[in-house]
Amino acid sequence: MPNRNGTAAIGKAVDGTVLLSMQDVSKFFGSIQVLDTISFDVRAGEVHALCGENGAGKSTLMKILTGAFPVSSGRILLNGQEMRFVHPVEARAAGIGIIHQELSLLPHRTVAENILLGREPSRGGLVDRRRMVTEARDALARLGSAIPPEAPVASLSIAEQQVVEIAKAIATHARLLVFDEPTAPLDTVESAKLFRVIAELRSSGVGIVYISHRMREVFEIADRITVLKDGCGMGTFDAADATPDKVIRLMVGRPVSALFPPRSATTPGEALLTILGGGNAALHDIDLTLYAGQILGVAGLEGSGKTALARALVGDQRFTTGQITFRDGRPAPRSPREAVQRGIAYLSDDRKAEGLGLRQSLRDNASLALRALAAGLALPSIANRNPGRIDALFRDVEMRAADFGVAVGRLSGGNQQKVVFARWLATAPHLWVVAEPTRGIDVGAKATIYALLRRYADAGGAVVMVSSDLTEIIGASDRILVMSGGRILVELPAGSAESEIMAHAVHGPGQVAELVA
Amino acid sequence: MSGITLSTRRFRPQGLLPAALIVGAALTYAVVSLATAQSAQLSWAGIAGLLQRMVALGITACGQTLVLLVGSIDLSVANLISVSAVIAAHVMNGRPDAIALGIAAAIAIGVIVGLANGLIVSKLKVSPLIATLGIGLVLQGVLSAAYDDLPGSVPASFRVLAYGHVLGIPLALLLLAAVVALAGFVLSRTVIGFRLYGVGGDARTARLAGIRTDRFVIGAHIAASVTAAVSGLYLASWLGAGTPWVGRDGGYDLDSVAVVVIGGTLLSGGRGGVAGTIAGVFVFATIDAVFNMLQIDPFLGQILRGLIVISSVAAYTFRGKAHVA
Amino acid sequence: MTAKILTHAVSRPPTPRVAWRRINPTIVIFLVLLAAICWISPLYRTAPGLMSLLQRASPVIILSAGQTFVLVTGGFDLSVGSLITLVVVACALITGGDGSLTWIALLAAYGIGLTVGLINGAIVAWGKVPSIITTLGMLLSVKGVAMLWSGGAPEGYLPVNLRYFGRYVWRHVPLIQRLPVAVVVLVGSLAVLVWLFHFTNFGRLLLMIGDNPRAAELSGVPVRRQRMLAFVISALAAVTAGILLGGFSGVSVDVGTGYELEATSAAVIGGVVLLGGEGSMTGAIFGGLTLYALFTLLNLIGFPEPLRVAVQGLILVAAAALTARRSGTRQ
Repeated sequence: MPNRNGTAAIGKAVDGTVLLSMQDVSKFFGSIQVLDTISFDVRAGEVHALCGENGAGKSTLMKILTGAFPVSSGRILLNGQEMRFVHPVEARAAGIGIIHQELSLLPHRTVAENILLGREPSRGGLVDRRRMVTEARDALARLGSAIPPEAPVASLSIAEQQVVEIAKAIATHARLLVFDEPTAPLDTVESAKLFRVIAELRSSGVGIVYISHRMREVFEIADRITVLKDGCGMGTFDAADATPDKVIRLMVGRPVSALFPPRSATTPGEALLTILGGGNAALHDIDLTLYAGQILGVAGLEGSGKTALARALVGDQRFTTGQITFRDGRPAPRSPREAVQRGIAYLSDDRKAEGLGLRQSLRDNASLALRALAAGLALPSIANRNPGRIDALFRDVEMRAADFGVAVGRLSGGNQQKVVFARWLATAPHLWVVAEPTRGIDVGAKATIYALLRRYADAGGAVVMVSSDLTEIIGASDRILVMSGGRILVELPAGSAESEIMAHAVHGPGQVAELVA
Repeated sequence: MSGITLSTRRFRPQGLLPAALIVGAALTYAVVSLATAQSAQLSWAGIAGLLQRMVALGITACGQTLVLLVGSIDLSVANLISVSAVIAAHVMNGRPDAIALGIAAAIAIGVIVGLANGLIVSKLKVSPLIATLGIGLVLQGVLSAAYDDLPGSVPASFRVLAYGHVLGIPLALLLLAAVVALAGFVLSRTVIGFRLYGVGGDARTARLAGIRTDRFVIGAHIAASVTAAVSGLYLASWLGAGTPWVGRDGGYDLDSVAVVVIGGTLLSGGRGGVAGTIAGVFVFATIDAVFNMLQIDPFLGQILRGLIVISSVAAYTFRGKAHVA
Repeated sequence: MTAKILTHAVSRPPTPRVAWRRINPTIVIFLVLLAAICWISPLYRTAPGLMSLLQRASPVIILSAGQTFVLVTGGFDLSVGSLITLVVVACALITGGDGSLTWIALLAAYGIGLTVGLINGAIVAWGKVPSIITTLGMLLSVKGVAMLWSGGAPEGYLPVNLRYFGRYVWRHVPLIQRLPVAVVVLVGSLAVLVWLFHFTNFGRLLLMIGDNPRAAELSGVPVRRQRMLAFVISALAAVTAGILLGGFSGVSVDVGTGYELEATSAAVIGGVVLLGGEGSMTGAIFGGLTLYALFTLLNLIGFPEPLRVAVQGLILVAAAALTARRSGTRQ
């Protein structure tokens, strides 16, 4: 095993050969441009960090690189040769590996079987188990890992599974590895191990693209940093020449536009909900009071617990500890159905998987919650009895579709989200938990949604808005919570600077103690 | 992500399951035979009789295991068993010299049916349930239409397969053992087997690893159909002739799926193996034997069997959080 | 440069929906088959001829309409065939040929259906056993009950007043001359089923459950209860079909055999998408009619009776393949 002396000391900028060069890459989805002439290169033996807010274009750029999306214009050179991948298999064969947050391992197979899937060492069609184990062990050893190759993947921790995924990539002789927010599901110790693995890879000449929001990590392991914002490149720097402040400024430095309606001057209403010491498997020591008439923004990175908080509030992943008291004296809802019946609405962050029936009509989707409330009685369907009521809601959310009878799957993301908003407006909730309310939608629809949330709050509703989009957290919230490691880290007043929130959020759970102390 | 974390929590060592099933079933069998004073059931002849009940279902279930592992299902096996038995008997028509031809004809039909199932599932993207139910209906219809024109019986020499012994061991048991060993060998030792698990576990991952998933789906279907054809041959040998209802009356569709699932193979594919399947078959055989010894009404036995199938699958699925339809 | 990206995102202009696209293709296929039948046989050019076609098709139509409730939620109900058998056997044994007990027998039949439906539904919704396994298991068990109860070989016929529903024909009816009671039962049942499916919250929510159960759950839909009720409706429809069939034919343990697949085939032919999310009563009804018209046509041209099942299998696969293709290109 090559000798190592800490991650930082390993020679940065090794031989400097340019492995990958993406030149003037642009990408359109229909008429929407999501990448604007971006140039990005990776050298052998370097870690190149890619930073940017959600929606900045990082994942689109990486999907182009790994063959999931075709490029609209621009060139991709790998070892000086132009590549045009039309399928991820081709990118993989060309030596480009990607480690997604969602791992793609077979949980019921062993580590070795996963690492060598499709390339099993064999003689006459018979698998040479011994060689398979040896090869897997070698691949793992290159990462400084001693995970037993015969262990079933399902018995490993997420961090170990990630290492297996990396081993699988390097066993196919990947020369370029993309890490997409790899530390999100890891704790500090596991993250540190991962950094050692990455350093190991770097010293063996692999080019690494590292995507992360966490500045501390980026500056710990990156040689160079490229910042994206709104689909444009904001520059590439040597990590030594940059500071976290500078990078954050480039990432978020955007005037808060007229997207957001003004806050009302009124004082918050009465307390709607009080949580003392709330917790479950993903949440710890949540103390929180919600007031009517307020929008509470909850910021945090992936895995910070902000989505878990939203789900706990609506009874999908219940609180198991703590005292939760609603205004009417009742405890937290025990199921989403109970939540809906008690006037608590939930807008999921995953519109396709948890929000819409894509093959059903706009009207059917928008009537869903109303119908759910009436379902037990099998009353005549509300939309059929009174289509005007749902159609009026569509006008409220500025839905522009010629035919409210078409399948929701045919609409743009923005219009789809408006359908979900119409669904909940119909039930007149008093607490509205919205997760990533504007993820993947156009600016026009964003403005509509912010206005809608503000009108709703002004009318006495309470909103909990969980979001990874700091602009939106700042622009739309009356109070801001920052979460990390399943805990509420700090509460900030409305109008706090993005860099201040980011500074709190980007420090991993390891720093919680210091910050609190 | 959550899929993996969930399964971490639910992971159970699969290696012990087949052994536990077999020991449990064998103990029940022994206790009941002693309690009802039928100790003859515990003699070698009694046990060989018990084991012989496993043959037809066991062979079929080995093929079904492969199909389920790859994430598909085959509900045409019962009708295919009938077709195979009838065709074999018809081709042999009592002539010892036509035995090889009869066997070849039955196997060939198995290959064709499996190919059809596999192509419909993988290329036409029809739900395997419907594809194989539909093909099963086609087989059933053709068979009942043509049966009157397909008289025949197997020659006495072919009946050795069902009734012969080698070194005191029924020949049929050796056939079952051979099929089990072959399937087990393919699954646990060959590249094909390893990749089959990959295809059933996560087709996307398998495709990314450069595996042509369609070929595995088609191959598994062919294997299932061929084992069903072999079962048909065995039943023809056992009964002396083929009948169009031998497969359906045996309930081989549901039973073959049920024993595979009871043996720990996931209905959705990617985990399991023939050891569990054979344990499941043993459980079924002992259930029948125990019902017999207890003189339970055969119709009541059928009711209980249905309930056992449902509850044993429930034991695996009950704790999942995902929606099931 | 930001402006370029921020330029208004065009929501896709809704494609104008051509009227003919809304017509279920099954209706067209049915009409073509019907025309062929009329062309071959003069009998079917008369109202009484059509009425008798409808009379014989009514059990399958009721079954497939009932089963569609389960199919659109993504499930299967393969126990209906056995349930029909059990209903007929139960009616025979309860009445024992005594017509005065008919009402009790009917009550008992619906009681049995309710029980089977509740069990199916509870096992699928709460036990999380895939419905294909659950209802196949019930197929075995329910048939076992029928055999156990009847001793294995029931025979004979139901009392005349119980066979009334399936067999009796009102004569001298204006316009159509003959009106089979079965057709009245069919129309009545369909009225209830269509109302439930298309005009109640319950029915509309079934489609949403089949399309995205998680979205339905998070929006407060009682997904499990709905699923269970779908199985209950399917079972009650099967009881109705069983009562009609008991009128057509004698009592045996094979009365209902195979009807589960006929009903599923009919629904699939009518464009009900397996594994849920799409389907309509129109589709289920015309799917049943189409299947029956096809059988009638095959009969008329002298197609061997036993091969009907084979044709049904081919149609089932073809219809599913077409649906897979249609939804594949659309997505």
